[in-house]
Amino acid sequence: MNIAIRTILRRSALVYLTQCAAVLAAAPPPLPGEHLTVAELGVTKPHWVYVYDEAFNNEIDARVHLFDGDTFRRLGQIDAGYTPGFNLSPDGKTTVVATTYFSRGSRGTRTDVVEFTDNNTLAITQEIVLPPKRAQTLPSYFNIGYSTDSHFLYVAYITPAASFGVLDPDRKSVLSEIDTAGCVLVIPSGPNRVSSVCESGRLLTVTLNPQGQEASRALSEPFFNPDTDPVFVQGIPTAKGYAFLSFLGEVHEVDFSGPQPAFRPTWSLVSATERGIWRPGGVQVGAIHRTKERLFVPMHRGGEGSHKEGGTEIWVFDLKTHARLARWPLQPYKLSPVVALQVSQDETPVLFAATTAAELAVFDARTAQLKHVEQHLGQTPWFILNH
Amino acid sequence: MRSLDKLFEHSTRLLARHTSRRSLIASIGSILTGAALVPLLPVDRSSARAADSNAAPHESGPAPAGAAKHDSHRHAPSAKAATDDPLSCEYWKYCAVDGFLCSCCGGSSNTCPPGTTPSPITWIGTCHNPVDNRDYIVSYNDCCGKTSCGHCECNRNEREKPMYRPSRNNDLNWCMANADSNYHCSVSVILGVAEQ
Repeated sequence: MNIAIRTILRRSALVYLTQCAAVLAAAPPPLPGEHLTVAELGVTKPHWVYVYDEAFNNEIDARVHLFDGDTFRRLGQIDAGYTPGFNLSPDGKTTVVATTYFSRGSRGTRTDVVEFTDNNTLAITQEIVLPPKRAQTLPSYFNIGYSTDSHFLYVAYITPAASFGVLDPDRKSVLSEIDTAGCVLVIPSGPNRVSSVCESGRLLTVTLNPQGQEASRALSEPFFNPDTDPVFVQGIPTAKGYAFLSFLGEVHEVDFSGPQPAFRPTWSLVSATERGIWRPGGVQVGAIHRTKERLFVPMHRGGEGSHKEGGTEIWVFDLKTHARLARWPLQPYKLSPVVALQVSQDETPVLFAATTAAELAVFDARTAQLKHVEQHLGQTPWFILNH
Repeated sequence: MRSLDKLFEHSTRLLARHTSRRSLIASIGSILTGAALVPLLPVDRSSARAADSNAAPHESGPAPAGAAKHDSHRHAPSAKAATDDPLSCEYWKYCAVDGFLCSCCGGSSNTCPPGTTPSPITWIGTCHNPVDNRDYIVSYNDCCGKTSCGHCECNRNEREKPMYRPSRNNDLNWCMANADSNYHCSVSVILGVAEQ
């Protein structure tokens, strides 16, 4: 190798090393060490929803998913055991789950229990063991519920004899069991009243004394006909009580604000020509925006026996005039039938719809604009709560 | 007057509670009687046996493709006589089933799978058999003691009523009164011909 070539090689190596040094000098500093933390949620936001997942294919593993309708993110999970009932406290700070565990996982000694979860941390803060009588059935507002002042907590029992438990959440104790003479579920009203739905189409209302024992009881007049047009047990919260929809689409609004339930005149979701053809259906058969007085119902075409089929359309009604304001077909969005509906209660409301394919669709509740579809939110999302 | 009021209130409350209790006891009695009558009623099971024996090869084999087909219970029934196929949700006896078909879980339409325990209490349906054109009363017992079978989910609700009419309701876990109340699957047992 002659001198000229050596010189060229040396110069090239020098240039290369200089460039490498420049690159090294420009590299960002290494990432700092991280600290493992546990997320907390903070104050509940209006567009958060608690989505009940029955996990029907492996029922001992039900759970509640907390989902954000603004960011479309899962925020956390509350474990819920076997065919649970669940609800929120009146202040929204606590989730209560009434559930069952077996001592050997899928078998063994049965323990029924109410678990209280802090909705900021999603950690269980306390529990109350129940007698093994809890109603093991589909979710509703009425499987477990608080009195309006949170002093009592009521849990529906079915063995199949029907009764309910009165619990004191502060003292972590079961105060009493009230026989409901065949009437089912717990519809709390006021600080000390519980109503149950009877086979005769009446409501039984039990009033409690301060110790949580029965003080009095009364049966209402029938407000629906269980033979010709039964109501779903899924009441929809209104400003003063609940609306119960019938299989054929009649709306029975019940005012629970007084000492005894009061029944408003019934009205219909369907016209005479639609009756028996279009029906409400699913598990959670409607949602109401209470200040805007809007009722949203999943509707489907079907005959007798189709009352659990999900909605292929969402119909929107004005609760004041009873006028149908809109029909929102779901086929354009390629959504499966809707089995559960919930709407946020703020001024820019969001409508949540859970489907048979475990989708959670998020709509603008004013315009039906589809904002998001969360695929596979659990296995069988059948009920949605919010605060 | 006050004592009269009290007396009237007391007697009315007593009457109301007594009447309701009696009807409750009657309801529970009818459920338990329905369950107890299963082995007693003279019932023509020939059609069910024939249908079950037709299905036996499918039940004993792994048949993943068939299982997948039957798992899609909400799809329209296949053209081939689904009403005669105990592996199909369209089978005539399943007109008020809500759950997993025991036929797909190691049992049959009237047999619980091995290792499970039948529920002693049930809900009742009335189903029409298109083969003999008769209506039958069907007892939908649950099979209990193992976790959900998870195959052949079937949700049909002909004449099904909400849980305030428990004997006609399929939303309740009818394993509730078993020592182990874990739900596995549901069978459909003919109790007898429905009287017109």
